[in-house]
Amino acid sequence: MSAQRCPACEKLFLSAQSSAKPFCSERCRQIDLGLWLEERHSVAVRPDEKSEEEITLDF
Amino acid sequence: MSEAAKPKRQDANKEYGAEDLEHLSDLEHVRERPSMYIGDTAARGLHHLVYEVVDNSIDEAMAEFATMVQVIINNDGSVSVEDDGRGIPIERHEQLSEETGREVSTLEGVMTVLKFGGKFQKGAYQTSGGLHGVGVTVVNFLSEWCEVEVYRDGHVYQQEYECGIPVAEVRRLGSTTKVGTKTTFKADTKIFQTTKFIYDTLQKRLQELAFLNQGVRIFFQDERSGDQEEFYYERGIIEFVEYLNRASEALYREPIFIEDETDSVGCQIALQYTTEFTENVHSYVNNIHTTEGGTHVSGFRSALTRTLNSYAKRTNLFSDIVPTGDDFREGITAVISMRVPHPQFEGQTKTKLGNSEVEGIVASAVSEHLGKYMEENPKEAKLIVQKGILAAEARVAARKAKELLRERKGALSGGGLPGKLRDCSSKEVEKCELYLVEGDSAGGSAEGGRLREYQAILPLRGKIINAYKSREDKVLANEEVRSMIHAIGAGIGEDQDLEKRRYDKIIIMTDADVDGSHIRTLLLCFFYRQMYDLVDGGHVYMAQPPLFRVKQKRKTHYVQTEEEMKEQLLENGLREAVLDAGEGLSVADKDMERLCHCLAAMEEALLALERRGVNLRTHAERQDVETGRLPVYHVFFGRDEHWFTTRAALDEFLQEREKEAGQELSVSDRPEPSSNGNGDATIATPKIHMTELHEVRTINSQLKELTGFGFDIQALISQDRTGIEGARYTLRRGESEIGLEDLRGLLSAVRAAGEKGLTITRFKGLGEMNAEELRETTLDPTNRTLIRVTMKDATAADDMFRVLMGDKVEPRREFIEKHALDVRNLDV
Repeated sequence: MSAQRCPACEKLFLSAQSSAKPFCSERCRQIDLGLWLEERHSVAVRPDEKSEEEITLDF
Repeated sequence: MSEAAKPKRQDANKEYGAEDLEHLSDLEHVRERPSMYIGDTAARGLHHLVYEVVDNSIDEAMAEFATMVQVIINNDGSVSVEDDGRGIPIERHEQLSEETGREVSTLEGVMTVLKFGGKFQKGAYQTSGGLHGVGVTVVNFLSEWCEVEVYRDGHVYQQEYECGIPVAEVRRLGSTTKVGTKTTFKADTKIFQTTKFIYDTLQKRLQELAFLNQGVRIFFQDERSGDQEEFYYERGIIEFVEYLNRASEALYREPIFIEDETDSVGCQIALQYTTEFTENVHSYVNNIHTTEGGTHVSGFRSALTRTLNSYAKRTNLFSDIVPTGDDFREGITAVISMRVPHPQFEGQTKTKLGNSEVEGIVASAVSEHLGKYMEENPKEAKLIVQKGILAAEARVAARKAKELLRERKGALSGGGLPGKLRDCSSKEVEKCELYLVEGDSAGGSAEGGRLREYQAILPLRGKIINAYKSREDKVLANEEVRSMIHAIGAGIGEDQDLEKRRYDKIIIMTDADVDGSHIRTLLLCFFYRQMYDLVDGGHVYMAQPPLFRVKQKRKTHYVQTEEEMKEQLLENGLREAVLDAGEGLSVADKDMERLCHCLAAMEEALLALERRGVNLRTHAERQDVETGRLPVYHVFFGRDEHWFTTRAALDEFLQEREKEAGQELSVSDRPEPSSNGNGDATIATPKIHMTELHEVRTINSQLKELTGFGFDIQALISQDRTGIEGARYTLRRGESEIGLEDLRGLLSAVRAAGEKGLTITRFKGLGEMNAEELRETTLDPTNRTLIRVTMKDATAADDMFRVLMGDKVEPRREFIEKHALDVRNLDV
């Protein structure tokens, strides 16, 4: 049986024991869904990354 | 007390209560309707017999007359319960003897007269338990046989009963030093559906009793199996809480303990918070498990909420969300044990405490003691309050999620689909595909280029928000999330139903730039977390739009990756290319191709070497003259630097040094500083620091190839050619000539030559492709490349997401450092 880490509460749980995978519980899944719907799951946009777009192809 | 002296009662039944009639009918009544006394005649009722007898012993122990209780399941299936209390009195009982007109001992009264206990010692056991308060009499009545031994005043007394009726008078058996009472009974098979006692059931209750009755030692033995256990808890319900939390992670080590007595009502509470989410409150009144709760539990709950709230407010621990009582009970484990003199039990199973005065008593005890605890333990207090706040946040988030999804249903009722969706015309799910396309302009091209029958398009855009000061964050807009869920149609979370999906393939199509990788990460993460089954079922794909358009005269083709583009240019440039190395040495055709591949294989290794700060020109000087190999091992022995090309040479060196030192050499993580100023470095044996330059292995093997073409390492290094006319090497292809000073430049020169006659466009985004191009390269199933997202990909995306998340800067940095070599590939 394998253990995995819940993306919401970060607790380790046994994969087989959860019906809300990849979360440990339905409650944690709901919390995560709330964060999506509230637009709180974000990826940081960094100035240094923006410049990467300007990289030109150098043969 | 005469009937006449009593105030007139409404209860007419009492008038039929002629004493001896009652005695006679008691036994019959109990045996006819056992369920009225012990609940049922199944396993539960059977075990209840043991509890009734044990309760008497526990009472004796709690009144501090006994110290231990022993329970034995005997080989014949009977049960013995023994304590070392005072022993039931065996003297003639005045009142009872008068009433019955014969000599009756107190013992016989206890065993054969219902509710007798209270008569011989009024108020003795103020808080005595027993679920129905029927006592040992009922046990006797429901037993095939029963035997009581009393150890008292240095003698053993004994009486036996069959089906509740004494077989003989109380007998004196002999002398003893023991004190106490031992009751053995065999449950009547005529009464019970089962008479087999279950070890685990008894064990659980006996342990519970030991927890609840601090300091009482309970031995339990099963002669049938030989199993035995002893329960003894000096810290009582504190240990009970620790036991309940044994598999959980507690927020703080020592459970909080509250003890109080008001108006003869005793109250003991132990509580501890864990990282769990459930409320785990066990309540007892006079050892009875009050599974339906009651006034003691409600008093506890209200005071807990009030106390934690007022503490948090006073210490400014709340920000915006204020936890409710439910929030504050998330993760709590508590045991409430009450001693109530005249408990009133209500409810379906009579396990709900009804005494209204208890509520206030418990509430004020909790307020006072818990309040004090919070003041004295600010660290623990903060942890508890924060746990409540977290629960409140979770609750609010979950509620919002539900509301937002409900809104969706409302707004789109009547089978409407999201406005931005360009659906396909077919309803054959197995053939239908949904393209999630980044950006509106790409969405437009995709809409124009799609195969309308089977392909649907949903344009998505990352939304930029300013989540934190001076930084931008990208999110999937709420509307986008809802559109996706609705368009796909398979639901989310618990309500996921793959059968209801509207498409067989969900295809993520994003730009090959940083923006695109952000959106892709967000989408993959969303699918993994909220549409797990969809990913698990292999329905999620990634499109591979081309990165380059290559035009040659009238022909156009597309190239997907940078590596592929480079390879094509090399291939192109190699055609009819000749390398003139002077002195009659030239390379062409197949050899030229092999030379280029050899140089390509070497280039990456050379760059790696240079990144270490090792200059190729300098390193070439360390070349082994015989083998032509460059050294792989870089060793510092103290401050002396050494290079070795083979493991054997290195080992030999180390062994020699070890012999000189006469001890094992110690290894250091870094080279020794170049000078310590005092010149006493000779005192200690120098330390060894060793680096293996793995990339040199590649360089060495390619160098060997290179000699096959007549070149050595110097061909890779530009030379001082002052006074010499013309280039060192010349690349000729048709009319054109390119001069080179070293061979490392050959590859790019060949590629540059290969670019002649081609028009190469690098697509900055999907939007730069027209509908036709998009169809040809990315939409049309006959040409396109799709990558199916595996569970492993999705998990990786989730990991990525966690480190790219806005608020965790540190792990992100660590992650990128750890995967420094892979990071180039992350965004491709």
